[in-house]
Amino acid sequence: MAVAAQHSALAEHIHPEPQGFIRRYVFSIDHKIIGIQYMVTGLIFFVIAGMLAELIRTQLMNSNAKFLTPDQYNGVYSMHGTAMVWMVTIPIVTGGFGNIIMPLMIGARDVAFPWLNMASFWLFPPAGILLFASFLVGAPEAGWTEYPPVSLQGPPGTTLWCLAIILIGISSTMTGLNFMVTIIKMRAPGMTYTRMPLFVWAQLATAAINMLATVALSAALSALFIERVFGVPFYDPNKGGSPILWQHMFWFYSHPAVYIFILPAFGIISEVLPTFARKPIYGYKMIAFSSVAIALLGFMVWAHHMFTSGMAPWLQLPFMILTMLIAIPTGVKIWSWMATLWGGVIHYSTAMLFAMGFLITFTMGGLTGIMLGAVPADLHEHGTYFVVAHFHYVVFGGTFMGVLAGIYYWWPKVTNRLLNETIGHWQFWLTMIFGNLTFFPMHILGLEGMPRRVAVYVPEYTDLNRLISFSSYGLSIAFLLMFINMAWSFKYGKKAGPNPWGARTLEWMISSPPPYYNFKRIPAILSGPYDFGSPLPYIGLDSELERTQSHTTIPAGAH
Amino acid sequence: MAHDKPEAQTGQYSNLGPYFWTFTAFLAVFTIIAIVWFVQQDLGTWLPEAAVPADEIDALFKFMGVFVILIFNIVAGYTIYFAIAFRRKKDMPPDAIGVQTHGNAKLEFWWTALPTVLIIILAIYSVQIWRGLQEAQGDVLTMEAIGHQFAFQFRYPRLGQPVANDMHVPVGTPVTLHVTSVDVIHSFWVPEVRLKADMVPGLIQTLRFTPTKVGTYRIICTEYCGRNHGDMVATLHIDNQQDFGRWFAGQAQAQHLASVAPLDLNKGQAQAGQALFGQKCSACHSVGPFDQKIVGPGLGKLLSDTAHPKLVDGTDPTPANIAKILQNGFQGPLGVMPNAQANAISNLDIANLDAYLVSLSGQK
Repeated sequence: MAVAAQHSALAEHIHPEPQGFIRRYVFSIDHKIIGIQYMVTGLIFFVIAGMLAELIRTQLMNSNAKFLTPDQYNGVYSMHGTAMVWMVTIPIVTGGFGNIIMPLMIGARDVAFPWLNMASFWLFPPAGILLFASFLVGAPEAGWTEYPPVSLQGPPGTTLWCLAIILIGISSTMTGLNFMVTIIKMRAPGMTYTRMPLFVWAQLATAAINMLATVALSAALSALFIERVFGVPFYDPNKGGSPILWQHMFWFYSHPAVYIFILPAFGIISEVLPTFARKPIYGYKMIAFSSVAIALLGFMVWAHHMFTSGMAPWLQLPFMILTMLIAIPTGVKIWSWMATLWGGVIHYSTAMLFAMGFLITFTMGGLTGIMLGAVPADLHEHGTYFVVAHFHYVVFGGTFMGVLAGIYYWWPKVTNRLLNETIGHWQFWLTMIFGNLTFFPMHILGLEGMPRRVAVYVPEYTDLNRLISFSSYGLSIAFLLMFINMAWSFKYGKKAGPNPWGARTLEWMISSPPPYYNFKRIPAILSGPYDFGSPLPYIGLDSELERTQSHTTIPAGAH
Repeated sequence: MAHDKPEAQTGQYSNLGPYFWTFTAFLAVFTIIAIVWFVQQDLGTWLPEAAVPADEIDALFKFMGVFVILIFNIVAGYTIYFAIAFRRKKDMPPDAIGVQTHGNAKLEFWWTALPTVLIIILAIYSVQIWRGLQEAQGDVLTMEAIGHQFAFQFRYPRLGQPVANDMHVPVGTPVTLHVTSVDVIHSFWVPEVRLKADMVPGLIQTLRFTPTKVGTYRIICTEYCGRNHGDMVATLHIDNQQDFGRWFAGQAQAQHLASVAPLDLNKGQAQAGQALFGQKCSACHSVGPFDQKIVGPGLGKLLSDTAHPKLVDGTDPTPANIAKILQNGFQGPLGVMPNAQANAISNLDIANLDAYLVSLSGQK
């Protein structure tokens, strides 16, 4: 058989694992090590950015607080947003989860360009350090969006901000290219596009956005950098520049960037739900197709961030309607996930709880997105805490719930140890309660008239702000539990084995943690990955594992 | 579609789950109550509607709110229901599996088509309201709002000088407001009018509204514009016609008197200057030493600072030279100080401010 011939040819191609600490763990070209590096670095930055959030909330405890000076406050919220977007979320969902899981899922031994992958990662820590170093010279103060002209007047750290984001942008672009080539060219034989796990579909759509959109941001940032350092007037209207130009370029990237955050989370949810409901994903093709539809539409809606900014009024209409259209593929996903729960045998693992919680909190963020998309309503809501509530429901209630589900789901694959489910359940419930108590009241504050990015507010808003602040401390405790759980797992966690969840995608068919070259023989794929109760659709897996797998996951007489 | 065989393993309940219709009835009642409650809310009690498009924008918000409640309740309700109804039971074998179905073309068609219809309805309704916002009314008050770091100014027809911080409009007269900025991007927002437009330097945007409710409302800057962005607030006074006429005539007269008064520094009063400093200067200047900068330097020791013996324009610190800077404005490294005209300060104001600044140095 042709497949068999291909196997033996591939089998001869295994390189030995590099020896020595530096080549193995520091400048590694192994996608799994690089993925772990991304996760660890991203989580360190997450802790820093999360502490910045608590500084913001502490300042807002009182209507006229003097906890931070106006300069410090502006710096803190700008760095919170910037770090959470570029140093935490994007690296974790693409560089982290994408690197560790995606090649395993498609039956590849590594990504297409391992050295490029290493280069991508090694741009990330310097970018983060450069960004946080701006605190030493005066952190940027104009928010994560850094609209000129005010960002042209900003403190010296704004220039470092430009450089840091350009660096991480180059890293994202390279990762996007790398993942696209990997997914298109390196799937195991028999893995057609419609047999790919949905996480891989999500990574494919994300990689395309990463590769195509990030360059727009890099161009905008380069211009801002040049204007700040050399005075070439791209954006300063007093010298003939256009401040709106920045906004168009910025949002041409930053709206698709929202889908860079959320699509991988969609992918994670699409893996966790079938595994713990013991059911095929409902409407596989519609979920896969809607990821692509979202990615495409995502490029055509950027100006909905600019309804109040100044553009030809008629131009608001196409952007409004296209924005509303995104609700349709997103809705299809939500219905499909709910239908996946229906008729399942649902295991209440922590990963599953986060996945089901995601359905509720993300829907909230999606619906307020439609409310913001309608131009007349946006004229009231824009620039207020309503917007802050909306995007925190999307990024926290969506992406981060997905990330937490992913961490609990794949932790045993990476470490070969189980996390503590009791701590996990506590973390889930604290996250749901305090997450909603933190972000829901922000809707009301915004509608009642509280603008974003202010260190002081009128005293009527004090009660809600205090509720939000106290809840945000509770949310920190929930995250603390996760880190405690990780430490617990290293010390006391039970050995997980190759497939603790009885999942069916390829990464669970090899040992935990996976060997250096993942698959001794590249398996061939016979059908899609979600048919519980059927024999595994893989041939040519490492034989011993294949035997144990088929005994543990295929119920007797279920076929 | 669903195979029959795994059904035996998933349990003895029906396809939809135990008590499905009971739950659905409960959820429907709950959702209807929530929607009725929401529709009956007068949003004006949460935040007054002080001008004409506010009621239409609230109506649109309410319309969307109904669908948000409906869809959210469906998603959250059935997610929780399925999670409970289809939980793994203790007596199930460890290898129990769910219903092995991959989808249902009919169902998937409807759950794509129905939201599409909703979106189309919402889009049509939004476009209708949007068109109302663009239409110019008949007999209107056309005026301008100008953003500064960190204050608002308002220009009226037949009033030579702009008015700072207080915007007066007569109730019932449609207002066409052009907004722009002299330095960075600001935003003009009156929550009670439900309208907002960014004030962009080099660009003029237009807001149209008809005030309907007499009162005072906050004008809030909603685009980060620098260190004191949070303090950038002005007041919108919706006056009845007589009050507006009185105010307008008073402004016109005051401006006339101020414009014909020659600059006489001896007439300055430090106390009046102090009040004015709070309105016009304190957003950018402290009354501390030179290095206590906000945007511009601290002005507490203008005449007696040995470390900075000259004024920023290089001249000696005399009252006359201070007055000159107040009159002409100054371009500093961090921002622009507007000149007397842009800052809407009269010759008398300059004399008062001058007297105040000199008195500060004298105390030290």
